[in-house]
Amino acid sequence: MGSRVSVTTSPPPAAAQQPVKQSALSSQYKNNSHPVVDLALRAFLFTTSLVAIIVMLISKQTKLIQVTPGHAILLTGKFSYIPSFIYLITALSLVCLYSIITGALSVLALMKPGGISTKLQFHFVMFDALLLGIMASATGAATGVSYTGIKGNSHTGWNKMCTTYDSFCFRAAASILLSLISSITILLLVLLSTHMLYKKTTRR
Amino acid sequence: MDMQYKEGINGEVGIRSAGKGKVKRSDLFVRFLALVLTLAAAVVLGANNQSTTVSVKIVPSLPPVNLPVTAKWLYMSAFVYLVIANAIACFYATMSLVVTLAARGGKKNVTLIVTILDIVMVALLFSAMGAAGAVGLIGLKGNSHLQWGKVCNVFDKFCHQTAAAMILSFNGSICYLLLVVLATINVYKKF
Repeated sequence: MGSRVSVTTSPPPAAAQQPVKQSALSSQYKNNSHPVVDLALRAFLFTTSLVAIIVMLISKQTKLIQVTPGHAILLTGKFSYIPSFIYLITALSLVCLYSIITGALSVLALMKPGGISTKLQFHFVMFDALLLGIMASATGAATGVSYTGIKGNSHTGWNKMCTTYDSFCFRAAASILLSLISSITILLLVLLSTHMLYKKTTRR
Repeated sequence: MDMQYKEGINGEVGIRSAGKGKVKRSDLFVRFLALVLTLAAAVVLGANNQSTTVSVKIVPSLPPVNLPVTAKWLYMSAFVYLVIANAIACFYATMSLVVTLAARGGKKNVTLIVTILDIVMVALLFSAMGAAGAVGLIGLKGNSHLQWGKVCNVFDKFCHQTAAAMILSFNGSICYLLLVVLATINVYKKF
């Protein structure tokens, strides 16, 4: 007769699809730690950009310099005197806000049983790439100006500034280093999201 | 059955060859455009010299003396970085154009590696643009708080040529950004 005897309890054919699909998806979610890494990177991005903003904001320095004995002038160094640092703070606050929004979206997508949706990942990649451009240009601008401030430029007559404003230069350099770390984090996020999208298409 | 023409969403025509890979014409066109723009930016900034004379009064009683001054792109490290970044981007555009055309029928990993390097190029070009823009802005307007005087009133041709090179480099970096977006759209449409 050729009747099939199945040893394991196989579900009836009508309801065969539903439980198999859910177990496959949850196993995919368990083997794949990508959404957790994504969330961790976004939390790290939020931290570094916030600390970079704070360090730049408290970097003001005032110094009393004796020009001639008896006369003293007050020199201040503030981040708002240099347009590149204003741009850096703007870009950092944009990145901070973006990391909060996308971190919340990531958490919401993690809690859904299906994992992260492809449309959301697609939007993440595009906006991450755009923000990478903005953050990289802000970091580059601040680095260019601070390099000129440290070394001076004899050809244009711009003299060194960091011998006078030592504490301001130190804090600005710390802020720029942190913004470099956040731009590398955004780069890693874009690479991670692209890799996730490619893996999803090659699997199907 | 070797060549099939498939209509995309925006009416773009993709060439499907016998293998699995499919290269869109828009991708190749944007890559070629990025090559041209970054090459032009590197050349325009690399050939940027200006020699002019400045009349300076050394002693008040004597008539002013004409001093020759030169401006070269090598004098500013931010401009050196911009030229080098554009040269790297141009070289990479050539390599990736060759690799994309050669691996048309083939593996998926090549597309992924090319997209990853495109993203790195976006970051590189944008940062070089930012640095040159910041230094150029100081040269244009000066900074009174730091006692840095402006330079572009003397070297006007130098400043204009630098601005042209920066615009070309910006368009090149937008092309690379467009390449990343196009690659993502391609992947998303297959899904």
